[in-house]
Amino acid sequence: MKTGKELKPGTVLRIDNDPWLVQKTEFTKSGRNSAIMKTKLKNLLTGYKTETVYGADDKLDDVILDRKEATLSFISGDSFTFMDTTDYTMYELNAEDIEAVLPYIEEGMEDVCEAVFFEGRLVSVELPTTISRQVVYTENAARGDTSGKVMKPAKLKNGTEISVADFIQIDEWIDIDTRDNSFKGRSKK
Amino acid sequence: MKARWDIFCCVVDNYGDIGVTWRLARQLVAEQGLAVRLWVDDLKAFVRICPEAQADVAQQWQQGVDVRQWPSDWQDTSVADVVIGAFACQLPPAYVQAMLEQPRAPLWLNLDYLSAEDWVEGCHGLPSPQANGLRKVFFFPGFTAKTGGLLREASLLPRRQAFEQDPAARKAFLQGLGVTPERNARLISLFAYENPGVASWLDALAADCRANHLLVPEGRVLGDVQAWLGEQALSVGSIARRGALTVQILPFVSQDDYDRLLWCCDFNAVRGEDSFVRAQWAARPLLWHIYVQEEYAHWEKLEAFLDLYIQGLSAPAGAALVQLWRAWNMDNDMGQAWQQVLAHWDELDQHARRWSAVQAAQPDLATALVQFYRNWL
Repeated sequence: MKTGKELKPGTVLRIDNDPWLVQKTEFTKSGRNSAIMKTKLKNLLTGYKTETVYGADDKLDDVILDRKEATLSFISGDSFTFMDTTDYTMYELNAEDIEAVLPYIEEGMEDVCEAVFFEGRLVSVELPTTISRQVVYTENAARGDTSGKVMKPAKLKNGTEISVADFIQIDEWIDIDTRDNSFKGRSKK
Repeated sequence: MKARWDIFCCVVDNYGDIGVTWRLARQLVAEQGLAVRLWVDDLKAFVRICPEAQADVAQQWQQGVDVRQWPSDWQDTSVADVVIGAFACQLPPAYVQAMLEQPRAPLWLNLDYLSAEDWVEGCHGLPSPQANGLRKVFFFPGFTAKTGGLLREASLLPRRQAFEQDPAARKAFLQGLGVTPERNARLISLFAYENPGVASWLDALAADCRANHLLVPEGRVLGDVQAWLGEQALSVGSIARRGALTVQILPFVSQDDYDRLLWCCDFNAVRGEDSFVRAQWAARPLLWHIYVQEEYAHWEKLEAFLDLYIQGLSAPAGAALVQLWRAWNMDNDMGQAWQQVLAHWDELDQHARRWSAVQAAQPDLATALVQFYRNWL
């Protein structure tokens, strides 16, 4: 069982005996310390997609999935090919299947991802909790702040914008927490 | 045959849960002709807003609503056509099981909290398929056409207008509460949670060149008022004067009388959800004390409402209102902010009327719920 607040992209729920892949989640505090999770679901048998809302404490049946390590091999338009790092099998996913991690998918990325399989079929990919990405554009630091408290927008190679500390400069590598898309600090690489 | 609706109300704290569900239940009976059972786990809270009710009976009829004590030891009961769980309350497992065993499962609605945030429109009316096969639907009240709207009885605004045009009725109502304000005094109601900001606001009211008469229904803010007055124990009927300010403690009144109180006042300080909505229907400038949430989540809700509410105000008037609300909710000094509000009083007063009218042009929450049920059928 999973609760509503534990849902994340890649989770597969069993609803009315059908497997539904969670493609996207949005956690929101609704009122008086209760919360909801808005989800985008895809029926893995029919391909039908729908949006749902769950209470943070709603109990849901999740399907135990197979997971394997995989790396991005190449991108072709809206198609993303990942390779199993142990047997080199290639798997293809489209952009919608990886909507939640798409902002951080870019050519040449070296992250070892978790490929999620349902009945032998790749249904989703999860990124490591921390990833490193290179900043391709950001404004210069306004006042030379080094505290890390003052934030500014920065653009990554694939166009994704993220809020980074004011001291970060163009071409620097930064660490990002993929659970909440937050800037963690300057990368050590 | 009348459609049967069950509303489940778990009283977590204060009077918002019971206030909203009782108001909704009454409206569904009176205006939609529905058979409504209101299940309440704490009837003492119910008695506070419906003084005719009894706190120690399993079942009672109040204004056409079948009010039931929600027992901890749930007994089998018939399942309604529409089941509303208010504010994410968990229904009795046996009742959920009974829903599952119906030939056709009832419409199960989660009536959620009121918020002006953008995400509400995207979540309103979305399904929530449960592990047991039942389908719940999330229903969100709100301020825009893409939400469930606000609770508003069909007769509310005409009643308010009639009351406003009848000075004798206003005078009689206030006298019934023991209130005889000085001529030309600004009448203000204060219903809030504990708030250290009270002191600076009362300082400003006391130093005003115009008389202010503050009416404080019994409640959580009383301790702060008491501390500012330096009084030992304020009780219903207590009247204290400091400079231009008269402070009077009122009893906790019924919902209908609270509406009248709001209509009598020039300015209303309200809190939570139910009184907040009623103050908007009162069409007077208002001050909202929002329910504090973990990680300051309430600030976003406050700002979201302000963003919506100040549309149509001049920049200085909007800024004055925003400053006052922020000061009240962030424990900042109220004195300066209050002066700014006074400087834009007429505009804020007209804006409150306009806001009320704009909101009233949208379907009310009870009607929206019934329409949703009809569409579901």
